[in-house]
Amino acid sequence: MTLHDTFLPSPLLVLSAGIMLMLAGMAWRRSVVRGLSIGLVTELVALGMVTHHTGTVPDGSMGLFIQDHWTAFTAMLVLFSSACILLMSWRDLTDDGARPAEEYPLLLLLGTLGATAMVFSASYVPFFLGLEIVGISLMGLVAFNHRHFMRGCEAAMKYLILSGLSSAVLLFGMGLAYALTGSLRFAPPIPADGMPPAMAMVATVMILVGMFFKLSVVPFHMWLPDVMEGAPLPVAAFIAVVSKIAIFSTFVRYFGTGSLPPALNGMLYAVIILTILGGNLLALRQSSLTRLMACSSIAHVGYLLIAFLSPGPLQPGVITVYLVAYTVSTLGVFAVMCACSPSLSPNGAAITQWGGLFFTRPFMATAMSLMLLSLAGIPPGIGFFAKFGVAATGVARQRDLLLGALVTGSIMGLYYYLNIIRVMMKAPATPATKTAWRMEPELTTLVIVLTMIVVIGGLFPARIIHPFLPG
Amino acid sequence: MNPLPALVLLPIAGGGVAWLAGRSRMAAALRVHDAPWRIALMTLVLETLVLLVATLRHPAHAEPWMAHFSMPWVPTMGIAVRLDMDGLSLALIWLSLILCLACLFLATRQVMANGGVFHFLLLATLAGVIGTFLATDLFLFFFFWELMLVPMFVLIAVWGHEDRQRAALKFFLFTQGGGLLMLLSILGLVMMHYRADGVLTFDYFALAATPLSPTVSMLLMLGFFAAFAVKLPVVPVHVWLPDAHTQAPTAASVLLAGILLKTGGYGMIRFNVMLFPDAAARFAPLAMGLGVAGILYGAWLSCSQDDVKRLIAYGSISHMGFVLLGIFSSSPMGMEGAIVQMLAHGLSTGALFLVAGSIEERMHTRDMRRIGGLWAAMPRLSSAGVFFAVASLGMPGLGNFAGEFLVLLATWHVSPPVAVLASVGLVLSAIYALRLVNSIFLAPQGGSLQPMADFPARQMMALGCIMAFLVVLGLYPQPFMTFSAPSSPFPTTAAGREGHAS
Repeated sequence: MTLHDTFLPSPLLVLSAGIMLMLAGMAWRRSVVRGLSIGLVTELVALGMVTHHTGTVPDGSMGLFIQDHWTAFTAMLVLFSSACILLMSWRDLTDDGARPAEEYPLLLLLGTLGATAMVFSASYVPFFLGLEIVGISLMGLVAFNHRHFMRGCEAAMKYLILSGLSSAVLLFGMGLAYALTGSLRFAPPIPADGMPPAMAMVATVMILVGMFFKLSVVPFHMWLPDVMEGAPLPVAAFIAVVSKIAIFSTFVRYFGTGSLPPALNGMLYAVIILTILGGNLLALRQSSLTRLMACSSIAHVGYLLIAFLSPGPLQPGVITVYLVAYTVSTLGVFAVMCACSPSLSPNGAAITQWGGLFFTRPFMATAMSLMLLSLAGIPPGIGFFAKFGVAATGVARQRDLLLGALVTGSIMGLYYYLNIIRVMMKAPATPATKTAWRMEPELTTLVIVLTMIVVIGGLFPARIIHPFLPG
Repeated sequence: MNPLPALVLLPIAGGGVAWLAGRSRMAAALRVHDAPWRIALMTLVLETLVLLVATLRHPAHAEPWMAHFSMPWVPTMGIAVRLDMDGLSLALIWLSLILCLACLFLATRQVMANGGVFHFLLLATLAGVIGTFLATDLFLFFFFWELMLVPMFVLIAVWGHEDRQRAALKFFLFTQGGGLLMLLSILGLVMMHYRADGVLTFDYFALAATPLSPTVSMLLMLGFFAAFAVKLPVVPVHVWLPDAHTQAPTAASVLLAGILLKTGGYGMIRFNVMLFPDAAARFAPLAMGLGVAGILYGAWLSCSQDDVKRLIAYGSISHMGFVLLGIFSSSPMGMEGAIVQMLAHGLSTGALFLVAGSIEERMHTRDMRRIGGLWAAMPRLSSAGVFFAVASLGMPGLGNFAGEFLVLLATWHVSPPVAVLASVGLVLSAIYALRLVNSIFLAPQGGSLQPMADFPARQMMALGCIMAFLVVLGLYPQPFMTFSAPSSPFPTTAAGREGHAS
């Protein structure tokens, strides 16, 4: 194979180059600000090049990578979120001048590389490599909790074990699929003649289970709240957004948007209902905001899967809008949490600590409420249109049970999101003590930008609806 | 220029300005402590002018739909900003504006804590309500339906009374739960239309012509009914109402009782009865049963309340039972009665909440056992209170009587026993209204009563206007009945509508 034959989407090249540059810089002299800047610039450049590639496009389905509208869209989401997460971590990292922690942006960039590789993959090999890169860099990132080292380590161990387990299941499934078809092409195995059809089923189910683990779909969701709680806030956002979008993107690529095998359909039905109800019921009982966001993200994956399971003319646009809405709103919540966390206790954990935010920091509280309302599916946030779209796809295919779960889940969701807003509205017991706020231009800008996307996207959703799904 | 979008956008814009004016730095620069209030008042006056223009532009050749506005919004899904106005929406918008103005005159000027935000939320609620009254795109309708909840939630949760946050949450959850069922119905209707015609649209007029099987139309109608039943409220799902009304600040109580409940009645007329006439007719016996249950249950509970606002709130449930009865009596007379009842109830109960709020503000309690003999201390306030209490018990000559009488008459044609039961509700309403009058205004005064400020002349003028409307509505309801009749969505009129739009 000559260089001419290789086909590489440019973002992968850019990200790899950025990582090399950062490593070289570290070897020379350590500086967090430089590391963060390199990371940010790399991500922005990669963001600008999602539709570019080097080499020639392979004919047929032989290549390792693929590039189409769907990859461009999800890669943009991944890179954008990752850039936001870098900005969120900026303050905490630069604060700690004594111990320059350049590994953090390095690992973050590496994780982004893995997620991007997954998004572009058209074969089992880059998919699995990407998955493992994300997993390993996340392990380091989760343990990066300076303030609570032990808790971070515990969460990282949990993540390591469960992620390893799910990777093993996934790998086994891939092996079976390869044995059946003799091809590494990224598609559900269709058994060749003379092979037992049950084996294809087993392979598909194992791959599905592995992906469900990573997507934290009930009943494979246990790890998510624990890991997100132990991780630093921006890393929690990374888990909730970047890794989930990458997995979901490959999930859609793998199973296509057509019809699944009928046996799987029933299973998916059950899983979706369990996910929506389970995620929301868990969230109802949380007293920590990070854990609550983890549970709500479980439920949101469930809503997204409803749209996945209801093919129709509306489906592609709805999935696009839902992904954007989920990404932006979740990032927004985490950005506000990061901005407010120094005044709260470690990680801004307990919901009760958010009391009176409307009186101490009205702007942040308003932004937070908008994000939460968007997640709950209330106008004017973009989440309203997204949930409306999901319901529309479900109604179009008459998924009655799923719609029932959607309605029940939404009402439960509304309760816990509103509860946070309610707490923020509580008048502070003591007259508002003027804590000295540090200027945080990067966080404030981030929150403003995300809020604008949420509101403008909610009022004029027509621009976002694009049928991006792979054919 | 088309006045319809202005009607919706103006309150939002004015509210935004009021919010900015309420910022502490701005307030200091303006040197007026009630700048948000003034801006809100100006906005409402402007809004009234726009509405006046819209009313008077009524074309000479009488068309059922007076004005139409349409603009693409999400073309890929067939969603557009479609606003249409007929007599019913016009009448209800007038009601909303009158009540909002009264609120501003009587209740909101003294809101000092974050006055700017308060007025913004008040106007945003108004915008949402006006939007629901005008929207003829089902997505847009749902958008406004949900949108008006948020500011109301904040109004209750921040400026309300002791148990405000629980009440606000309850209000939001109940309404949203009904709303989601309506969403499913809307989508179901759109999909049925898509399957029949191959066109994806949320246009009310197009959807009205969708062919539906009896079962499907019943299911879809029930989804809509769930949302409107929560808002109206109908008895098993009324639980949020007494709490929300009691805990809300005065202005929010007035908006809730006067306007937000009417969106439920409006929705039932516009969507349940007009979109699914057959299903509604089949559902009518049950709906009328629920209506009578509401009338009796609300009135019965109202009789045993000691909290002034709670008493009025339960009274509202009882009155809205008449609206439900009238809408589903399947006769034009019942419908007219229901509309008159909605207008009259909005005015009288809204005003009663204003009076109750003023009493609470002066006495610092809502407990009727601790308030007494206000007539001597505050004759103006008391006379207003007595007037509106008597109006709401259905005194002949006032608006409520006209509405209730028409509804009862229409009901009698359908089912005499139901009419008899409903009139028992009238007796009960006399009991609770007179109990209110007796114990607050007329009873010998309980403790030592400090001299208190009575209503100033300006506030009495605002209340006087409401009284005048009630009297006119009661003595000569015919023009209101013909004026506020809802228009049919069906093709003959739709064709005329398009002709008018061009």
